[in-house]
Amino acid sequence: MNARRLVLPGDLVSTNPRTAGYGTFVENGKVYAKVMGLMDKTDNLVRIIPLKGRYIPSPGDVVIGIVREVVSNGWNVDINSPYPAFLPTSEKPEMKGRKMNDILDMDDAIIARVVAIDPKMKVTLTMRDKVCRPIRFGRVVAINPTRVPRVIGKKGSMIKLLKNELGVQIVVGQNGLIWLSGDRKKVDIVEEAIYKIEKEAHTEGLTDRITEFIKKRKEGLQNERK
Amino acid sequence: MGEEILMDIKKDYVLSRLRDGERIDGRRLDEIRPIEIETNIISKAEGSALVKLGDTQVMVGIKMQPGEPFPDVPDRGVIITNAELVPLASPTFEAGPPDEISIELARVVDRGIRESEAVDLMKLCIEEGEKVWMIFIDIHALDDDGNLIDASALAAIAALLNTTVPAERFGLGDDFPLPVRNLPVAITSLIVGERYLIDPTRDEMSVGHKLITITSDKNDNIVAMQKSGSYLLSEQKFYELIDVSVEKAKEVRELLKEI
Amino acid sequence: MKENEFEADKGEEKVRLIVDGRRLDGRGFEELRPMRIEAGILKRADGSCYLEMGRNKVVAAVYGPREVHPRHLQEPSKAVIRYRYNMAPFSVEERKRPGPDRRSVEISKVSREAYESVIMKELFPRSGIDIFVEVLQADAGTRTACLNAATVALVDAGIPMRGLITSVAVAKVDGVLVLDPMKEEDNFGEADVPFAFVIRNGRIESIALVQMDGKMTVEEMKRALEIAKKGAMQIYKLQREAIVKKYEAIEIEEE
Repeated sequence: MNARRLVLPGDLVSTNPRTAGYGTFVENGKVYAKVMGLMDKTDNLVRIIPLKGRYIPSPGDVVIGIVREVVSNGWNVDINSPYPAFLPTSEKPEMKGRKMNDILDMDDAIIARVVAIDPKMKVTLTMRDKVCRPIRFGRVVAINPTRVPRVIGKKGSMIKLLKNELGVQIVVGQNGLIWLSGDRKKVDIVEEAIYKIEKEAHTEGLTDRITEFIKKRKEGLQNERK
Repeated sequence: MGEEILMDIKKDYVLSRLRDGERIDGRRLDEIRPIEIETNIISKAEGSALVKLGDTQVMVGIKMQPGEPFPDVPDRGVIITNAELVPLASPTFEAGPPDEISIELARVVDRGIRESEAVDLMKLCIEEGEKVWMIFIDIHALDDDGNLIDASALAAIAALLNTTVPAERFGLGDDFPLPVRNLPVAITSLIVGERYLIDPTRDEMSVGHKLITITSDKNDNIVAMQKSGSYLLSEQKFYELIDVSVEKAKEVRELLKEI
Repeated sequence: MKENEFEADKGEEKVRLIVDGRRLDGRGFEELRPMRIEAGILKRADGSCYLEMGRNKVVAAVYGPREVHPRHLQEPSKAVIRYRYNMAPFSVEERKRPGPDRRSVEISKVSREAYESVIMKELFPRSGIDIFVEVLQADAGTRTACLNAATVALVDAGIPMRGLITSVAVAKVDGVLVLDPMKEEDNFGEADVPFAFVIRNGRIESIALVQMDGKMTVEEMKRALEIAKKGAMQIYKLQREAIVKKYEAIEIEEE
């Protein structure tokens, strides 16, 4: 059991440049933290788990976005990042000769995947993917993007827990936006659980506490319905 | 970018909860967020207050100095109210001279104080026609989570309540407490279809900028009113809002009495 | 700490700022004013900090990285850093008209330049990182207080940096070098030198900002730097504590 130390930018985390991992930088043969976060150090790798920061898109990321503009060859999409994203019509299935804004119009929410980010920081999205779809119902909640891995959990364990216990559809965007769909009161519970996970992301025993929390809330629901 | 997306997402959610008569933060439609008032925080100012209305935070500082009266009222002190919606307080505020939102906010707060005659300006005359006390009410937004107007109005009157006129500094006799004799309170509601939400948060504002602010004084007189936003108000709603706002103002006024 | 109430005489008599080997507020020559630092106090900002340094009260907020408006101000290879130092009208004895004056513009510039060398702007091309600091109450050394607050706000926002910026001033009063001057020392002293340092892993690496108002010998300047460094290390510890305190609930291993 390694306690994870909170480090600040400029803190020395290793003297072996070959172990420099995410969130670190190397100078004069020494490895330093570049962001505030929790240091995760093993013999081979030292990385920093950031606790704050805006979402920077990465190819392969599933994201939730809002259409801002319909243009001739696609849609400009806001993905809650310093960088605007673009969904080309070629990446949207089922076009079938329909008009652009019949398919996706301004202020529509979508689940999409990041294909690439070019040197000019232009982000290209695709919706040619099973998980991608326009969002026509349900609820979207927003959390600190750095907590997304915790909401997903090791090998998806946390998100599986939420899905199985409450039967709610959940799609987690890497950009901190999460789509929920299902019975209203159950979605309320999932939303609360997500904020709880966000707040207590790096504490011990979180999975157990969330399991407990869901159990209590479910009981409360059943009592309500009696 | 960035911030706007969160607004859009909230909009549908706010509306869908509202269909069940609920607000997304669990408040009743006429419930005001928890209020915290701290006074006398800026000791260099003649008076000051920090108001927290939920997560909205506004600081008001009062500065006073002798100056020339307005020619038409040579025997009265002068109140000048200004609001700085500094970029620190919101991702959408920009640096620069006051825009129409800051100016509107300052003027509405000012009218509430002026029309309620909260400050006895006759007592601030030093030399008729020549010299009177000037009161600068400076509103400084720190964190905009909705309804800056009510928070600013509250901070302004709270600051005035602990203001000391700095006569000694100007060789004009002893310092004395600023005479404050009324407690105007502004209550702002967001109009959403047939309903209205009192003390809207920023998330609730995502459904549209349709507001009405009604300021009342300790005698339940209306001392300021401002409809803000492009929408139409029915007479019936108008009367309802007046009644509700005057009632809610009484609750908030209790907090001022404790200062 | 008790403050000695001493009305400085602006007239013929020379102002005495050191009385019986002590400063007017009772501090030792190399003693900082009391400080209070709180991180993450604003909801809207990405990072924020409230800081008191003596009677100075400042709030800092960081937004970013975020899109730059207008677009033509974007830089293709790095983020654009903006720093805005602003004083609230009620922050000083004589009310200050709102809006930037020449002094605020200068302070904003040199402060921004301090951060430009430390923030890893190459990681965020075509974006902007905005630092806003508001002085709510001023009592000499506002620019140093603001820098200290801005650093904590930047850390709180998760902005990658090579180290932390810590700032403190040294003044020469009645021929004596003193750390962190307060108002009377600033007004009536012979020189005032604000410094900002890049501190990495508990060591001062370099000077990111230095200005001077007044006159000093070269020897005095060297000593002033040493005094400032010691003071900065103390402030650096407080900056760290503020962040740790905010995030201390976070620890231990993931299951």
